Amino acid sequence: MAEPNRSEPTLVVEGLVKRFPARASLSDLLHRRRIPPVEAVAGVSFSVSGGEVLAIVGESGCGKTTTANLLLGLLPATAGRVLLAGSEVGSMSRRELSRVRRNIQMIFQDPYESLNPRMRIAEIVAEPLRVHGEAGTTVEEAARVREALTQAGMTPPEAYLGRFPFELSGGQRQRVAIAAALTLRPRVLVADEPVSMLDVSIRAEILNLLRALADEHGIAVVMITHDLSTVAAFADRVAVMYLGRIVEHGPTAEVLADPQHPYTRALLSVVPVPDPAARRRPQILAGEAPDPSHMPAGCRFHPRCPVAFDRCRSVDPPLFDVGEKHQAACLLVEGGASRPAPD
Amino acid sequence: MTAVVEVSAPHAGLVAAPRSMLRTVLRRRMGLVGAVMLLIALFVAVFAPLIAPYDPFANVHISITDIYHKPSAAHLLGTDDGGKDVLSSLLYGARVSLLVGFSAALMSLLIGGVIGIVSGYRGGRLGASLMGITDFFLVIPDLALQIVIVAIAGQSLVNIILVIGALGWTTTARVVRAQTLSVRERKFVFRARAIGAGDLHILRRHVFPQVLPLMMANLVLVISLAILSESTLAFVGLGDPTVISWGSMLNFAFSRGAISAGAWWALIPPGMAIVWVVLATTLLGTALEEALNPRLKRHHLEADPHAEADRTRVGPPPPLPTPGVEAPILQVRGLSVEFEVEGGALRAVDDVSFDLHRGETIGLVGESGSGKTTTVLGLLRLLPPGGRTVAGQVFFDGEDLLSLEDAELRAVRWSRLSLVFQGAMNALNPVRQVGDQVAEAIRTHEPQIGKAAAAARATQLLERVGIGRRRGSEYPHTYSGGMRQRAMIALALACNPDVIVADEPTTALDVMIQAQIMELLAGLSRELGMGTILVTHDLGVVASSCDRVLVMYGGRIAEEGPATALFGDPQHPYARLLLASFPDIAHPERELRGIPGTPPRLDDMPFGCPFAPRCPSAFDRCRTERPPDYPIGEGRRAACFLLDPAEARRG
Repeated sequence: MAEPNRSEPTLVVEGLVKRFPARASLSDLLHRRRIPPVEAVAGVSFSVSGGEVLAIVGESGCGKTTTANLLLGLLPATAGRVLLAGSEVGSMSRRELSRVRRNIQMIFQDPYESLNPRMRIAEIVAEPLRVHGEAGTTVEEAARVREALTQAGMTPPEAYLGRFPFELSGGQRQRVAIAAALTLRPRVLVADEPVSMLDVSIRAEILNLLRALADEHGIAVVMITHDLSTVAAFADRVAVMYLGRIVEHGPTAEVLADPQHPYTRALLSVVPVPDPAARRRPQILAGEAPDPSHMPAGCRFHPRCPVAFDRCRSVDPPLFDVGEKHQAACLLVEGGASRPAPD
Repeated sequence: MTAVVEVSAPHAGLVAAPRSMLRTVLRRRMGLVGAVMLLIALFVAVFAPLIAPYDPFANVHISITDIYHKPSAAHLLGTDDGGKDVLSSLLYGARVSLLVGFSAALMSLLIGGVIGIVSGYRGGRLGASLMGITDFFLVIPDLALQIVIVAIAGQSLVNIILVIGALGWTTTARVVRAQTLSVRERKFVFRARAIGAGDLHILRRHVFPQVLPLMMANLVLVISLAILSESTLAFVGLGDPTVISWGSMLNFAFSRGAISAGAWWALIPPGMAIVWVVLATTLLGTALEEALNPRLKRHHLEADPHAEADRTRVGPPPPLPTPGVEAPILQVRGLSVEFEVEGGALRAVDDVSFDLHRGETIGLVGESGSGKTTTVLGLLRLLPPGGRTVAGQVFFDGEDLLSLEDAELRAVRWSRLSLVFQGAMNALNPVRQVGDQVAEAIRTHEPQIGKAAAAARATQLLERVGIGRRRGSEYPHTYSGGMRQRAMIALALACNPDVIVADEPTTALDVMIQAQIMELLAGLSRELGMGTILVTHDLGVVASSCDRVLVMYGGRIAEEGPATALFGDPQHPYARLLLASFPDIAHPERELRGIPGTPPRLDDMPFGCPFAPRCPSAFDRCRTERPPDYPIGEGRRAACFLLDPAEARRG
């Protein structure tokens, strides 16, 4: 395993942009209208160090999954760079990319779908080794498969090697997916909604496992999720995304206790709390996030913002520092003045 | 495997492994008959020299009486125009038919498979142009082209095979392409790409194994087409003159006076032989195709009419409900649901009882497989095929729903007892305006209402769920997921129901939309005095919107109580652990603990308490005896021996 190195970030993302060409309708074509491309990710920057867990939170369509795909080089970025352990992912040749990619592995949302139903667990876990030509001898391969399964909490590994995915429960399947991601001893794990398809009673175990991988093996974990309550218990830092942009970013405890962006505040207020006695004032935003092809001028959140004022309609706010490591993209905190939350 | 898990497993579009597929095929009579017929033909072809009574290629001296000789002991099927034994020619003919059939089909399979996989996997311009070529070949009249090519190139067996093979691959290419396209989109292929796997690896390890069974099924059908093609070519006189084939036997018989000589034995046997082989391959191929594409199963919300008919009542009759204003609108008593599986029945819901009052919202919570959805489907009589209620009563406003006739039930369901289910947003008719669909629902149950009145009420209902007049006259595809779910709620409310059952109404929706929908449901139920059953795994949603909570585990109710009391002080160990595993954003410092182990499978239900194997405080009695409900204060009960006063005394 890589040595935990908290001083230098393992993964650095700078000004990442992804535009998709928009599909023109017939009337657009007839009127010769130019269709601006859809900006799914609009200048996202962050970094993660070994042993750290960063959560990227947002609603569907906010660009968090596109960001994950960009990190892994599964999509080419329109602009910006991804630095993995110091080397830039985007500028690499295919061969170099495949060599670097072993350092960053991904875990998917649906453990029922993401494992090939025809393959045995041993093959699934060994596949990354074979793909990257690291399988070595049969004995070496078997040893690494067992090691990865053990790390993922599938003990004793021998009990699972010959089974097929359908013979396992959802939690076990997700552990297999994690084990497969671990065989290459990656520096970074990107987990896209790793527990949202699992039962509540199993979620905590998988989350604790990911946390342990960060703590004990110094892996940098990027977790993509829509569920703030999961983040609260688990991530060191949180980045809240809205329409392709990070609108608030900071240490989890600080962001949750003292959210600075009105969107973060609204999101937090609607998270269901398992306590009927909790008197909360949910701040339900009307409507839904506009689709990225109709981006509003100024601050992209202003049409739904309960505290928007005139300037919000014309000025697109950058991230302002609101604390030592805490930033928010809102004109209300422009001077860095962290005003107390209204509650 | 448990029946419910099988029913809900999202494996549509996946094909079975080849070995199990073959087993399925042979279990069908059609497939078995086809396979046996084909094996017989193969046997004959291989051993023709051994079993044929004469060598049809031998030069023998014949006299005029040997020509078209009737079937006799020496010649079981008579002789042909050359005085040769028809039976021997027939047996030798199998060699050519099968040789041409198999080799041409293999060639087609190779060409079609490669084109199908490449165009399906690569897509883009290459895929499109490959499909263009396929379509071009598809519209060419095969036979005419075959005749022309063979006539020009020469009538050798090799030419015939090449021509048939080179023209017969189009269907294979289309079938393979469609399957490749769907496999390409699968998550496990995406994951392989994320690992860093190249295209070749993905094709070999992930795509090809999924496509192969389909190609095999297709191969068999292409074989029969190739055999037919060969016979046709030979019949029109374009067969290889140096070999004997069934087609050329027919050709000679027709052209050399078999009909005028009345020699039916020279005509019928080769014809029957062709029918035999084509029938064999068609039967086998059809069986293979059926094994791959099992006929679309009935949707699980379409009740099987027979499932309810043979319902037998067991257990003691429950207390009769007393009609009156204070009576609960819905009373479920001892409801048990079973799923039929091979060799028995699995109990998915076991003796579930609860009440629902007007204006009250109760939450049915539990993990997947706990029986919560089956409970509500059972009480609505909407169980999937194979499921049936084996005991219990469901009193809705004093009437037992389970003993109603289908027509009576239909009148109650939806109009007075309505349902919003998970993924319901996909249940809107895509080609009708949303407002019209709501109006139609109103008129279906209240035909006396005029069209205009129904439309006005539909607009009103949609406005109530936050869909304005303008959006109401749009089509569902212009709606977002949240809007569609709200439209479904409007549909469910169309007839002012007394009870609404919402099964995971907000799963797969964003938190903000979830909050919108839950607020909407809560407001409507207060306003209209509806009783609401909310089925969910989300304890947070339950806590914020339910008056009472029922925690289900292993098909039984583990604990029931008012939400505040149950969340504040859960008594059943399962309820306690479930709450401890649920993250609470108000207390991020609390350590989350999962529940070790997995929920019990239906076919492996523990004998005593279903939770005993995972329960940290289980003792001997839990494993041998099923805990009854113990009352624990006002409106609360839990099924756990820890609450038995006798156990408490024992310490």
